[in-house]
Parts: sequence; structure tokens; C-alpha cells
Amino acid sequence: MLRGLLILLIFQCLGEIIKSTTQLFLPGPVIGMLLLLIALSLRGQSVPLQLSKSSQLLIRYLPLMFLPPAVGIFFLGEAFNDQWPAIIGALLIGTFLSLLFNILLMQYLSRKSP
Amino acid sequence: MMPWQNDFLLSPLFAITLTLGAYQLGSYLYQRSGHFPLLHPTLSGAIAVAALLASADLDYLHYVQANQLLVFFLGPATVSLAIPLYQQYHLIRRMIKPILVTLIAGASFASISALCIAYWLGGNTQTLLSLASKSVTTPIAIGITREIHGLEALATGAVVMTGVIGLCIAPFLFRWLKVDDPKIWGFCMGISAHGVGTARAFELNTTAGTFSSLALCLTGTFSAIAIPFAVTLIRNFY
Repeated sequence: MLRGLLILLIFQCLGEIIKSTTQLFLPGPVIGMLLLLIALSLRGQSVPLQLSKSSQLLIRYLPLMFLPPAVGIFFLGEAFNDQWPAIIGALLIGTFLSLLFNILLMQYLSRKSP
Repeated sequence: MMPWQNDFLLSPLFAITLTLGAYQLGSYLYQRSGHFPLLHPTLSGAIAVAALLASADLDYLHYVQANQLLVFFLGPATVSLAIPLYQQYHLIRRMIKPILVTLIAGASFASISALCIAYWLGGNTQTLLSLASKSVTTPIAIGITREIHGLEALATGAVVMTGVIGLCIAPFLFRWLKVDDPKIWGFCMGISAHGVGTARAFELNTTAGTFSSLALCLTGTFSAIAIPFAVTLIRNFY
């Protein structure tokens, strides 16, 4: 568990260091994720048990970790009072359209190349 | 309120207890209702916390500050998404073309369609910047929003709501368009409804879940590169 978490944190540190030294506009943890992916591919074996255990646990509790920031949508303040039609419209119609678009595209592509 | 009460209500101890309690309550309701999308633990838990904060007149920003210990783990959790991605490499290789085309077109479409609708309905710049990452998995969406100076709270709420809306409408769309391939089912869930959709896809079967988490990882990575790049480009033009 702890060894796996240590590896993840080291890669996140590397990501943050690369981000601040190269002025890259990717979030630090995303750079860390890409570095870890490259490292795993170079190593070329199955994922170390410690690492996959930590990863499973963290991914399982993702919904818990983003609960506190999600509460913020109820406290946006008065500046956002006129923004609700835009927000709700974009979420409802946007999600419907994007699901429709993805399904049709994927169906078309997989029919073309079975 | 007595001074010690105020200190206690603003302490990490109370804030984290509140978060865990609300999450447990949400999970219980979600399980008991047979996974009714609108009772998703993050949404129902957040509503419970918001109601309590509002009724006790507590500051939301203090609550989030006091929860830093929990929110901190979003970082390593994002890094750990590399592991399912690596494990699914063989699946990606076999279907590389439909996967990449749908990913790039689908992730761009999800972001651009949301922005067009929000702009059309009178959204301001701050709102648009916070909605750009709505279909991206939360930890990456928070990173993107920080990068482009959107509003983190709105972005996170938008991501959670997108996932929940996706869960509500996907079953009807899949039935209407006769989607029976779990690979397509999962992949589309992952692109449009990120982690919330992925959890649901794993309930259907492992193939759907695998393709959904694959789509989640790829959409997150692609958007983390594309959205800040597009925003920087547009800013340089104006």
C-alpha cells in the first residue's frame, strides 16, 4: 500500500517539477500519469502488486475525494445568478448531444472495420 | 456561538467527519434506490453537506480548506489512472482506429457543444472557462480549470452533474439506437460521463467497464492537452 502510494507521489512530484521548469500547460498530476505510463511500458511486465493495489483503492474512492469541491456549486454567489440557464442548458443539451454523437460515430466506425 | 464551537466547526476533524458521513449517507441511499442516478453519492452527499453548511451559516471556503487532506489525494489518484490505461494497452492496439477517431472527435464535440450552448444562453467568460472540462474526469478537470483560470467549484459541480445526466439518459439512447456491443456501450459512457459512467459500466460487465475506463483515461489526457492549448491560442488572438 504505502510503497505504491510512494511511487505515485514520486511521479506526481516529477510531473510538478517538469511543469514548473518547462512552463508546460498540462496539469502536474497528468504529466506524472504520462511519465508513469511510459515507465510501465519501458519496464514491460505486469504492474507491481503494491502499485495496482494503491491505484485500485484511490480510484475506488475518487467520488469521495471530489465531494468537497462539488459542494461549491451551491455557493457560487450572486454574480452567477444570471448564469444558471447557460450552465443547466449546456449540461443537459450538451451531454445528450455528445452521447448521441459518440454512439453514432462509434457504431459507424466499428461497422466499417469489424 | 461560543468561540470553541466556531473553532471546532472549522476544524479538519469536523469537516472530514462531515464529508465521510455525507458520503456514507449518499452511498446508502444510492444502493437502496437500486442505483438511481440522481442519488449518486457525490451529488446526494454534496446536497446534504450544502444544506448543513447553509443552515449552520458556515463558510463554504472554510469547509473546503478543512478538507485539504481528502482533496490532496486527487493528485496521486490522477497519476494512478496510468495503471488501468497500461493494463488495457492490448485492447487499445486491437481497435486503435475507431478508438482514436471517436476519442478526438467525441471529446472535442463534448467540450465545444457545451461551450456553444452556454454562450448562446448568455454564459459569461468565467462560466465558459468552467464548463470546458465538463466531460473530463474530475481530478483532471480540476487541473485543467486551474490551468485556464476557470472557477473550480463550478467546474467540479458541472463534471458531477454531467456524469449524473449521462447516467439518466444513456439507457434510453442505447435502447433507441440499438447498441448491444458492450465495447461501444462502455466507450461512449466513458467519453461522455467519465467516472460516474465508468462505475455504471462495470456493473453491466467487465468489458464495458474496461472500455469505459479506457475512454475516461484517454479523454482526460487528450483534454488536458487540448483545452489549455486551445484557450492559450484563443487568448493570444484577442
